[in-house]
Amino acid sequence: MSLLTDEVRALVGRKKVYTAPEEFGAAAGRYFGLAIGDHNRLYSDPEYARAHGLRGVTAPPTLICETNQYANLPIPPDGYAGHEWGIEIPGTRKVRGGNSYTFHRRIRPEDVVTATWEITDVAGKATRSGAEMLIVSSRATYTDQDGGLLAENEETIIFVALEGGK
Amino acid sequence: MTTRTDHRAGDAVPPLERRIGLSDMVAYAGATWDWYRLHYDPEFVRAARVPGPVVDGQVFGALLVEQIQDWLGPRCFVHKLDFTFKALVFAEETVRCEGTVVEVGEDHLVLEQRVVVIGPDGGVDRVAAAPARARVLLGTADGPGA
Repeated sequence: MSLLTDEVRALVGRKKVYTAPEEFGAAAGRYFGLAIGDHNRLYSDPEYARAHGLRGVTAPPTLICETNQYANLPIPPDGYAGHEWGIEIPGTRKVRGGNSYTFHRRIRPEDVVTATWEITDVAGKATRSGAEMLIVSSRATYTDQDGGLLAENEETIIFVALEGGK
Repeated sequence: MTTRTDHRAGDAVPPLERRIGLSDMVAYAGATWDWYRLHYDPEFVRAARVPGPVVDGQVFGALLVEQIQDWLGPRCFVHKLDFTFKALVFAEETVRCEGTVVEVGEDHLVLEQRVVVIGPDGGVDRVAAAPARARVLLGTADGPGA
C-alpha cells in the first residue's frame, strides 16, 4: 500500500487564510516573552526599543509563526485551536518534522496579521527501518494590513506507517 | 554594537540553558493560544502513552532566537532560522541551546545550533532539535522589510 495516493497528491495547492480580528497588541509580545523566560527589553520597554531603532516594542520573532491568536477558531475537545489541514491517514502516526522561518521585519503592536497557509508538496519515503512515510510540506505567509510581508514559515508533517517496517 | 570583526568561524555561541516546568508550559499555552491538552493535561497525556506533558516543539525556536539575541544584543536581527525535531521533551526537563559560528559575512553571521536535553548527571541525555541553522543580520534591530 502506498501512502502517496492520488487523493493525497491532490492536496498540493490547497490554501487556508486567517485574518486577525484586531491588532496584534503590545501585551501579546510581552506575555510571550514572560512565558518563555526571555526578558529582552525590546518586548516591554518602548523607550529602549526606540533607542535601538524600532518604532516601539515588538514581540519575540517566532511568536508570529507560533500563535493561534489570529486564527479565531473554536476550541475542540483536544484543545488545539490553531491551523490544521485535517489530514487523517489510518494506520499511521503523525509527527512534526521541523520548521524553516524567514523573518522580514519585526512585528509591531498595530499590525493586523493575515496568515496564508498552502500545501506546497507531498512526498513518499521510507524510514531506515523500511516503514513507509508520507511527508506533507506547507508554507505560511504572514502579512500586515497593507499586504507587507512579515514572515514565512515552512513546516513538514510526517505520517509514518505503523506497520511495514523491520 | 557587535560587528563582523568581533567574530570568527568556529567561535562558540554562549549556551542558553532553561528548565521547562509545567507552569511555564501552561503560560506558553496561554501566550500562543495553543491549548492542546498534550502540553498540560495528565489524563490526555496518559491516553497518549507518553511519560509526561510534552513541551511544545515551537518553544525551541523561541529559545534559539533568545540565545542569539542575548549574545549579540539588541542591534541584531534573526533573518532565517531552520530546525528539525529529533526527540520529545517533557515537563520539568532542562534543555540547553548550543551554537557555533560557521560563516562571517560583511553584515551577517551564519550559526549552527542545536537543542539538547540535560540528564540528571549534567551530561547530554538526548538531542531535542538538530540540525538548526540561523542567519543573523548585524548592526540592525530590524529586518530588511522594515
